[in-house]
Amino acid sequence: MKRVVVTGMGAVSACGLGADALIAATQAGISGVKPVQFDDLPQQRVSTAARLTLEDVAAIVGPTPHKMRDPVAEYALFAAREAVAQAGLTPEHFGEVCGVSIGSGQGGAKTLNSNYMKFGREGPMRLDPMTVPKIMNNAAAGWVSMEFGAMGPAFCLATACSAGSQSIGLGMQMVALGQVDRCLAGGTEACLVGAGFRIWELLRVMTATQNRPFSKDRNGMTLGEGAGVLVLESLEAAQERGAEILCELSGFGTNADAGDLLRPDPKRAAACMRMALKQAGLSPDRIEYLNAHGTGTVANDISEVMALRDVFGEGLDGLEVSSTKPIHGHGLGAAGALEMIVAIGALQRQSAPPTINFTEVDPKIGLEPVPNQAKPMSISAVMSNSLAFGGINASLVAQRYEDG
Amino acid sequence: MNIDRDALTRELLDMVAEEGMVDRAELAVEKPLEELDIQSADFIMILMAIEERYGAYVSMDNELTDVVTVQDLLDLAITKIEEHQSEKTAEA
Repeated sequence: MKRVVVTGMGAVSACGLGADALIAATQAGISGVKPVQFDDLPQQRVSTAARLTLEDVAAIVGPTPHKMRDPVAEYALFAAREAVAQAGLTPEHFGEVCGVSIGSGQGGAKTLNSNYMKFGREGPMRLDPMTVPKIMNNAAAGWVSMEFGAMGPAFCLATACSAGSQSIGLGMQMVALGQVDRCLAGGTEACLVGAGFRIWELLRVMTATQNRPFSKDRNGMTLGEGAGVLVLESLEAAQERGAEILCELSGFGTNADAGDLLRPDPKRAAACMRMALKQAGLSPDRIEYLNAHGTGTVANDISEVMALRDVFGEGLDGLEVSSTKPIHGHGLGAAGALEMIVAIGALQRQSAPPTINFTEVDPKIGLEPVPNQAKPMSISAVMSNSLAFGGINASLVAQRYEDG
Repeated sequence: MNIDRDALTRELLDMVAEEGMVDRAELAVEKPLEELDIQSADFIMILMAIEERYGAYVSMDNELTDVVTVQDLLDLAITKIEEHQSEKTAEA
């Protein structure tokens, strides 16, 4: 198996354009959550989301929207261009030796929503004839492959909130196996549309107040959107072209609860984290910072911390855990990619990002998750968790790159 | 705004029976919801009915996880509806 390194990162999120904007916001504890109002949803119960600013959307989409691309594909392309530029990749680095693995939970939600609404209001004749290519879940992966001429395997995992993490994990596996020299891997989501928002309201897992992961008074999550893309390369391919190595991606675990579609299972989440540690060849005490799935729902936070205690010991000694979702929102299929970039940011800056909006330790959880302010510390290895509906878990481990 | 609690309780019991698909006659307030086979999916239906009727959005929070009996659910629903109505009065 080949060692896999990260040589480029790109992101768009409620925190702005670029991976640096995301990392800076999560370190400073500045939230991208904003008011949202949907024209076709007159009685909103929840009125905030971590949406992109209109200026950022305009900068991504351009003055005339592309006829065949939903914003979900534009977000992924923007993030991929940034990652490729940082990695310094040029045309000879693509072709058969480069794969693509860009996940998405819902694909072209905006196009689907507006066409269904139009179908209901005006009837079937004058809908957007490019709806099918815009809504298909793999459109973002397809556009990214075309943009760069990446002709290796192209995947789109649609595993809800684990899609981004699993997509990075799959890209890592392809590179580790030597199928490809490199892979553009991550996740994208553009889910903030009226009907889509309403069905999240109906599931009662969104907060009508503030997202407070691990707090006693937490009452739900805040939706987000965006995209995160990493350039993953084999160590030898990166060295051969003299690339700057940002970190090593050393562990990936993923499994299924095979239990309940919505209710998480702490035993399975623990097994998933252990699988990632095993691949990385690290004992649990080597992980210093963990970016939790930490949605701020009652069920997730209790279950995830039970799993953490199982893996890292009852006292979680020597481990800092936080959820940065109150800052960039829950990006669903993009979440794992955005949060992996945040975790790598913690490694680069030697600082654990805070869980903002934190009020009070929940006695049912007993965790102080780097409350409200970043914590400077020595970090050599990080983990990021995604625990999805469908009972699909994914954990990634990154560490400081060291020779030999 | 004053709410007629008895009337509200009766309405809520009707809603719990309908949405939870339980015989109204069996719906004794002291009974655990589990015993009546009212599960989390039914809970969500009941909360949707409360939103539809009273405009109160109740998300899943710690208080909701502490609900065991029909009475617990009624108490919580009444509190949330009253909170919602006092907020509306405050806004008006």
